[in-house]
Amino acid sequence: MEPGVVMDSAADADVVVVGAGVAGSLVAKRLTRAGLHVLLLEAGPATAWSFDGYGAHLDAFYGADAKGPESPWAPAVGVPQPDTADLRGDDGYFVQAGPLKYASTYTRLQGGSTLHWLGVSLRMLPEDFRMRSRYGVGRDWPLQYSDLEPYYRQAEYEIGVAADVADQTYLGVEFAPGYEYPMQRVPPSWSDSVLAGAVDGMPVTLGEREYRLKVRSYPAARNSTPREGYRPVGAVDEGPDGQRLARDLGQRCAGNTACTPICPIQAKYNAGKTLAQAERTNLHVVPQAVASRILVDPLTGQVTGVQYQHYDDPSSPRHRVRTARARAYVLAAHAVENVKLMLMSQLADGSGLLGRTLMDHPSLYGWGLAPGPVGAFRGPLSTSGIDDLRGGAFRARHAAFRVDIGNDGWRANTGAPDTTVAEAVSAHGLYGPELRRHLSTVLPRQVRFSLNVEQLPSLDNRVSIDARAVDRLGNPRPVIHYAIDEYTLAGMAEARRVYQEIFRRAGIEDRTNPDEGSWFPAVTYHGDVLHYHGMGHFAGTHVMGSDPSASVVDVDQRCWEHRNLFLVGSGSFPTMGTSNPTLTMAALALRTSDRLVTELCA
Amino acid sequence: MSDHELFLDLSVDLTGFSRIDLLGTGLTERYLEELHEVLPGTMVSDLLSTFERERANSGSETIPRLLEDEVWGPVARNMIMLWYCGRWTALPHSWTAQNGTAGKNTDHVVSPAAYVAGLQWVAAGAHPAGARQQGFGAWATAPEGLI
Repeated sequence: MEPGVVMDSAADADVVVVGAGVAGSLVAKRLTRAGLHVLLLEAGPATAWSFDGYGAHLDAFYGADAKGPESPWAPAVGVPQPDTADLRGDDGYFVQAGPLKYASTYTRLQGGSTLHWLGVSLRMLPEDFRMRSRYGVGRDWPLQYSDLEPYYRQAEYEIGVAADVADQTYLGVEFAPGYEYPMQRVPPSWSDSVLAGAVDGMPVTLGEREYRLKVRSYPAARNSTPREGYRPVGAVDEGPDGQRLARDLGQRCAGNTACTPICPIQAKYNAGKTLAQAERTNLHVVPQAVASRILVDPLTGQVTGVQYQHYDDPSSPRHRVRTARARAYVLAAHAVENVKLMLMSQLADGSGLLGRTLMDHPSLYGWGLAPGPVGAFRGPLSTSGIDDLRGGAFRARHAAFRVDIGNDGWRANTGAPDTTVAEAVSAHGLYGPELRRHLSTVLPRQVRFSLNVEQLPSLDNRVSIDARAVDRLGNPRPVIHYAIDEYTLAGMAEARRVYQEIFRRAGIEDRTNPDEGSWFPAVTYHGDVLHYHGMGHFAGTHVMGSDPSASVVDVDQRCWEHRNLFLVGSGSFPTMGTSNPTLTMAALALRTSDRLVTELCA
Repeated sequence: MSDHELFLDLSVDLTGFSRIDLLGTGLTERYLEELHEVLPGTMVSDLLSTFERERANSGSETIPRLLEDEVWGPVARNMIMLWYCGRWTALPHSWTAQNGTAGKNTDHVVSPAAYVAGLQWVAAGAHPAGARQQGFGAWATAPEGLI
């Protein structure tokens, strides 16, 4: 079948999946391996799927003046995406309706945001699933940690997570007996070791309780030393004759210090790796196909097809409209794009929650100079964090947070090392050997923390559409209403206090100065100005639950009102805790895949 | 001396890196060309002959004088940014109003290769982000090679 050629009279596949990011690719792999035929529609080009195409993205990064997360990943003109660089000017893809700016972004290419994610793969804490019953805030999930634990294990093998169980057993996180991650932990950076020497065992007080801090290795979807029986998956290279994997490249992290925005050797997981492992005879991938309408039988509520706009030239909005039909439909297009597509299709939303309770991890930077060299600008961008304040009794009153320890100096927060050089040359008038000596003294001492703060669901934070704001294909752009409430602001203030205590203890000179750093939006809390950045952790927009009047999808991520339609991804999360959402959304996608296989193969 | 040789000598004095280090980037010609693409008329030759003359007369005061000069100071600082960061920084309007420009005076990375060759990474005891990987686990060891 030619790409985009669709038979209108019969089903094209057993399942149409919309979106070739991590969730959609996992669904496609599992379903095709179970013998089901999958038609996968991807809005963006598939350039990252070939070795040469990926290389062109790498060159775009090298040559980019601003090297933000999106710099290697320019979208097609008809498929715009949010970009950090657009935040300040307010002229980006999102219509920022305020009162605050929503600071996160995502990528609309085949592979999705896994193309530039950091790779951290934390499980959620058991208590994260029970925020209402445990702490009286947020909402409970319709399933528990123990329900999801088998799928966490599967997800860790599917995306290839490197970690040691001993490090990750804390705050109630438990593993099945005898379980081992597929790969040994990624070695902690020199900086982590130096910091651990100063920080481990340090007491901090939150509320009435004292907590002891520890620099803890992050589980990461980066190839490391494999454990017995596991074979790391390297770079992908799709050719005309089909998929090839692992050209002896990327089976082991080699320290390129660029997980975000682009791992040059693909030692870090991206969704293309999963898609490459699908049963190819049962998979039909159609890139450059923008789903634009879900067709529904008005009597039964069953979905009967997905309309999509297929374009040949990524630099042109010219396209043809086609329809794909199947027995079941899975939207895996992203927490925002899933909602956008539902709203564009004017699908019924009895709960009133579609697009509501959008969350993120509004995060603060703290940066400073260590008393001696810590070896900044080397290694995976973050190999450890301080995770002891992800859970605790204080969550009844304010948000939990984790401290992400950077290995890339002040790059994310100031644009270093370029800005460090520019300052030395222009402000300090340095040149020659003195300049070189200054940079050799300062750059290896740069320390950066990112304080990732939990955000609870709020009805006021939402994604909607406005027919007056459309993209080049005529599709509406997402309108985002966003605020940060007292609960999260209080957590941000506590996170700031804690990082300052850590810096003092470690002898790190606090150089945090948002006026001198890269521009980020700000919010005022008790007279303090807090500059926050987004983590790319969109969640909550099509919440799962056990009550159709209080959720959009059920525990299987099946739409309450359209029983052959599934909305998968972090949009289904009732709450997000402090973990990045990828591993949890992967676990949920695998769980949903199993349900689909059971039903459709019956 | 040829412009090429003078450009290298000036670059050594500005950056604190040796001729071998600079030649090893493979970008000497490209950076000299970059100056020609931005500076109008004979300004590149003027800069280099000024450097040659000052060096004969002022010795170690040559670079401080050049950096203080209204015309040559911003250009010399930009040369440092070329070598350290592989990027051209737009000369300010006040400068171009007085001296003109041959065009291309915008903030930009000279080329993918120029980004990778930036001397800032060497000064940091590191490697360019996304290139010249140090090998599995190298980041776990103490930084080396700092002067």
